[in-house]
Amino acid sequence: MSTLTDKLFKRTKDEWKELLINNAIIIVIFAIIAVVVIREPSFVSVAVFRNILTQSSVRLILAFGVAGIIILQGTDLSLGRFVGFASVLSASLLQRPDYPSRFYPEMAQLPLFVPLLVAIAGCVLFSAINGWVVAKFKIHPFLATMGMMITLYGILSIYFASGAPGPQPIGGHDERYVQLVNGQTLGVPNLVIFATIVSVIIWVIWNKTTFGKNMYAVGGNPEAANVSGVNVMKTTILVYVLAGVLYGIGGYLEAARIGSANNGTGFGYELDAIAACVVGGISFSGGVGKVSGAITGVLMFTIISYGMTFIGLDQYYQYIIKGILIVVAVSLDTKKYLKKV
Amino acid sequence: MKKTILFALIIMMVMPLAGLFAEGQKDSDAVVIGANIYSFQDGFMNAVMKPTLESYAAERGAEIQIVDSEGQQAILNNQVDIFITKGVDVLAINLVDPASAQAIIDKAKKADIPLVLFNKEAPTEVRNSVMASYDKVWYVGTDSAESGIIQGQMMVADWKARPEYDKNGDGKVQYVMLKGEPGHPDAEARTRESVKAFTDAGIGVEQLALEADPNWSVQHGADKMAAWLTSSFAKDIELVICNNDNMAFGAITAMKAAGVRLPIYSVDALEQALTHISEGELDGTVLNDGVNQAKATIDLAINAAMGKDVVEGTSWKLTSDGSKAVRVAYVGVTPANYMDFQ
Repeated sequence: MSTLTDKLFKRTKDEWKELLINNAIIIVIFAIIAVVVIREPSFVSVAVFRNILTQSSVRLILAFGVAGIIILQGTDLSLGRFVGFASVLSASLLQRPDYPSRFYPEMAQLPLFVPLLVAIAGCVLFSAINGWVVAKFKIHPFLATMGMMITLYGILSIYFASGAPGPQPIGGHDERYVQLVNGQTLGVPNLVIFATIVSVIIWVIWNKTTFGKNMYAVGGNPEAANVSGVNVMKTTILVYVLAGVLYGIGGYLEAARIGSANNGTGFGYELDAIAACVVGGISFSGGVGKVSGAITGVLMFTIISYGMTFIGLDQYYQYIIKGILIVVAVSLDTKKYLKKV
Repeated sequence: MKKTILFALIIMMVMPLAGLFAEGQKDSDAVVIGANIYSFQDGFMNAVMKPTLESYAAERGAEIQIVDSEGQQAILNNQVDIFITKGVDVLAINLVDPASAQAIIDKAKKADIPLVLFNKEAPTEVRNSVMASYDKVWYVGTDSAESGIIQGQMMVADWKARPEYDKNGDGKVQYVMLKGEPGHPDAEARTRESVKAFTDAGIGVEQLALEADPNWSVQHGADKMAAWLTSSFAKDIELVICNNDNMAFGAITAMKAAGVRLPIYSVDALEQALTHISEGELDGTVLNDGVNQAKATIDLAINAAMGKDVVEGTSWKLTSDGSKAVRVAYVGVTPANYMDFQ
């Protein structure tokens, strides 16, 4: 017993400091929750907890996609457009048969998995192009994905405008689709279940497969990885393919989650996802990042934004707090890694 | 092999461009209109205004080129320069930043090309002086405040007709507001006027929460409404006011997920909104008559390009208050009349 208390409380000043720095983001999250709870004790409720998890679910799936790319020292500015692309594809294929302005007026009801596969296939195709361009021509992902962001917006807008009713928001989703995404199983929101399954799969891929190990190796030091026999090109493209799969799933879920899809859906999501990853310790310098980091980062942002809306804080202050938190969280995190080096 | 693929790719990319050039050479005597949309991402502009501008211009035998200003006034300024050097007959411009009206007017004046501004108007304080600075500039749009006024009138009428709206029976409206882009004239006017309708009718108001979104997005409506429905004031909310349909779509989804049905009103009357009304999920929206705004813009542009009086041969009326505007009226859409708009 005494060893346990020793372990918990008998630390030197430096050890305390290290403990603080290592858990800075968790501490920040709890500080925010504390402030919110003091202002509004009703924040501690099952409904709030469920909503925060539900609102984090799609963001988390998307964050995993860009996280792999960040581990490769890259970034993906086209994420938001992928979400829009997948959302519009899914929603257009899953409207109620009796909805007055259907995208495809004559189309029969499809099985739910077909549009999901279409969305995934579409996203994988274009994301693989991103990966190929980055790996083959050694273009910085910032630029390659910026190009894709603009191109894909064009493609997605053309598709969006090609529906029978013209470029109208795509609503009236099939009840089965709405139920699948917004329903719950044994009291747990389905979105949370999906996000959990995806998290487990991603954890296995990152930690237990050769591909995962190669990803960290290439991200840490591409030359060294190449010398030790890792196929850098293949690994890079596969990371983007995995991102495409996740964007496809995320966009499919997002359209039904919010209830309508248009060519602006997903706009700006890339910055949220990237910020969440970086805050969660998935470093821009590459080779570093954990599944738990992405989860922490996404949860932190949802809690901040939910909590501040909850207590009715003026939005302009919300921007200031969010901005400062990103920089503070990242600088504390960087300090942690600097120390290890 | 690689070279063949590369070559094929280049050909694929150049072919459509060749088509564009060929298209540009027809009908040399048709009126050429250089137009823009402030952002193709705006659901209303993209769904209603742009298709009507294109189809109605074709119907009137004019050529129109519409560019995307991507929400940036600087991009629009460059596009106007391009149109001028290209030699279009008339400009139809949807300002990104209303405060930049003077800069665009100066460009048109210098090039002596008539200019029809549409959908976004110079700020009220400077409007008349700006419009007076060039004899060949006109405006087509709505009266920003009117959409909020009509939304407010619909809500007041329902509030009076349905005592159950006043859940706590205190005679005051406890509302939450989903606002569009802060500083956008429509967002500001709708936010102000919709509430003012209540106070003008002698009904007290209490704002429980307001959240603004620069993108007027569905996601914003869904996330903020979900948060409000779990807040300490959730049970006090008697009314949800939305600056546009998209945010209402999100809020409706959030309410359904939470098993709640609160009175909710929006603006735009997009098709999805009409369906929500028909299914009893939305209580009212306001038709921003984009079709007639687009038609008026084309009519004025063609007349201006041909040197005629701008409203000659049309049913449009210019205002006489110095704003040189054709104002298209907003229409309230309710469960009683939504069928007329489908």
